[in-house]
Amino acid sequence: MRRRPQVLTEVREAPAPQERKTATRVLVEHHEVLRGLMRRLMETPRPEPGRRRALADELFDELWMHERIEEEVFYPAMRDVTPGIAAAWSEHRQLSDQLAALVRADPRTERFDRELGVMHDALESHAHLDEERQMFPEIERFADEERLIELGDRLQARLGRLRSSRRVRAVLRLQRALLRRTAR
Amino acid sequence: MGLGSDMAQRTLDRLLNAIEGDGRLDRPGHRLEQGLAFAENLAGVTRSRARGLLHGVWLGHPLHPVLTDLPIGSWTTALVLDLTGQKRAARTAVGVGLAGALGAAVTGLHDWQHTHDNARRVGMAHGTLNTLALALYGWSWWQRGRGHHLRGRLAALLGYPVIMASGFLGGTLVFRHRVGVDQTDRQLDPRHFTPVLAERDLTDNRPHRVRAGDVEVVLVRADGRIHALENACPHLGGPLSQGWLRDGSITCPWHGSEFELRSGESLNGPAVAPAPCFQTRVRDGWIEVRRAPKATSSPPGSALVHQQEVRP
Repeated sequence: MRRRPQVLTEVREAPAPQERKTATRVLVEHHEVLRGLMRRLMETPRPEPGRRRALADELFDELWMHERIEEEVFYPAMRDVTPGIAAAWSEHRQLSDQLAALVRADPRTERFDRELGVMHDALESHAHLDEERQMFPEIERFADEERLIELGDRLQARLGRLRSSRRVRAVLRLQRALLRRTAR
Repeated sequence: MGLGSDMAQRTLDRLLNAIEGDGRLDRPGHRLEQGLAFAENLAGVTRSRARGLLHGVWLGHPLHPVLTDLPIGSWTTALVLDLTGQKRAARTAVGVGLAGALGAAVTGLHDWQHTHDNARRVGMAHGTLNTLALALYGWSWWQRGRGHHLRGRLAALLGYPVIMASGFLGGTLVFRHRVGVDQTDRQLDPRHFTPVLAERDLTDNRPHRVRAGDVEVVLVRADGRIHALENACPHLGGPLSQGWLRDGSITCPWHGSEFELRSGESLNGPAVAPAPCFQTRVRDGWIEVRRAPKATSSPPGSALVHQQEVRP
C-alpha cells in the first residue's frame, strides 16, 4: 500500500550523482563503515567515556539503519534466491538486543567492554561469517546482475534518506534515551 | 477413509498452505517483532532469567502449551455451565480462562518472535485468532458482571469455535513445523573415538567446525579443556560454530540460545533442550570425539547402561 508514494519520491530525488554499485557491494561497504566504528570504539580507552558514548550512539544509529535497508529492500527481494534470509533476519534481532545491552552499559565500566566484545563477535558472525562468506557469494552467482545494480541504487537511496531524516534521528535518540533511563 | 474425511483434509491443507504462502503477513510480523524486541530490552527481559523462564527452559519444553490448557479447559467448562444455567460459576470459569489466556499470550509471543518463514506466518494467524477470542471472552466476562448474561453467553458461544480453530493452528506449529520440538537428530554416532582435527589446528577460545562421520561437531578449547557439541542448535538448527563464546558458554548466532560448553545445557532459551555433547581426548596429536552417553536413571540392563559399560 505504502510502496507507491515512496517510489515516486525516489524518482524525484534520484538524480543525485552516485556511483552505481551492486546491492552486495553497497552492503559490504556499509559493513566496513560499521567495522570502522567498532574498531574506533575498541581503541578508545575507558578514561574517555564521553567519546565512547558518542561512538556507541553512532554505532547504534548506523547499525539500525543497516538493518532497515536490508530488511526493507534487500531481504524481500532475495527471498527466492537464497534460503538463508530468515536466519539473517534472526541475526538482526541478536544485533539489536546486543546494541541495547551496549548502550545500557556505563562506558566507564568493565561491563561496557564485555558488551562491546560480544557486539564485535555478533557483528562479525552476521556480516562476515554469514553474509559475506555464504549468502552474498550465493546471491552473486544466482541473481541477475542488472537486478543487483538496481537493488544497489535503491539501497543507497534508502540509506541516504534514513541518514538525513530528522524524524529517524529523533526516534533513535528517543530509543537510546529510554534504554539508558531504564538500565539497571 | 471415506470421501468426507478426505475432503476435510484437503480443505485444511489448502487453508494452511494459503496462510504459509502469504508473504503479506511478513511486514506486520516483523514490525510486531521489532516492537516486542524493544519492549523486552526496555524491561531487561533479554538478558535476565525471565527470558528462560518464559521460554520454559526450566521445564525442559516450552511453557506456552502448558498455559493454553487453562483457557481451553476453563472456557469449555463455561460452555457446560452455561448450558446447565449456573450463571455465577460460568462467569468465574470465563475469568480463570482470561487469566490463563494472558499468560499464554505472553509466552506465545516470546516463543513466536524466534521462528522463521512459514511457521512465523501460521503463528501470526494463530495469535490473531487468539486475540479475537480473548476480546470476545473479555467482553463476555464484563457483560456477565453487569448482569447481561444472555450477551455474555452469546459472546462465549462465538468465541469457542475461534479458540478451537486457533488451537488447531497451534497444533500445526508443533506437529508440522516442529516449533518448540528438540531438533537434534538423536543419532548415536560416533560410538567410538573418531579423530576429527589435529590438535595444533585448534585455536583457543574460537569455535571450530569439524565432521565426525555424518555428524557436524563444534570444537572449542577454553580453560585448557576441549569441549565438543553438536553443531546444529536444538532450537532451529542454527550453526553454533558461527556463534560466540563467553564465560564457558557458546551462543547460537540465530536466536541467541546460550549453551554451557561443559554440559550442553541450555541457559536462556529459546532452545529448551540441551545441545548434545561429545567426549573428547587427544591421541598422537589428534583430537578425537565420541558421543557422550546421556545421563540416565534407566534400570540396569537397559540399552543406555550397556552403552556406558563399553567405555575403555
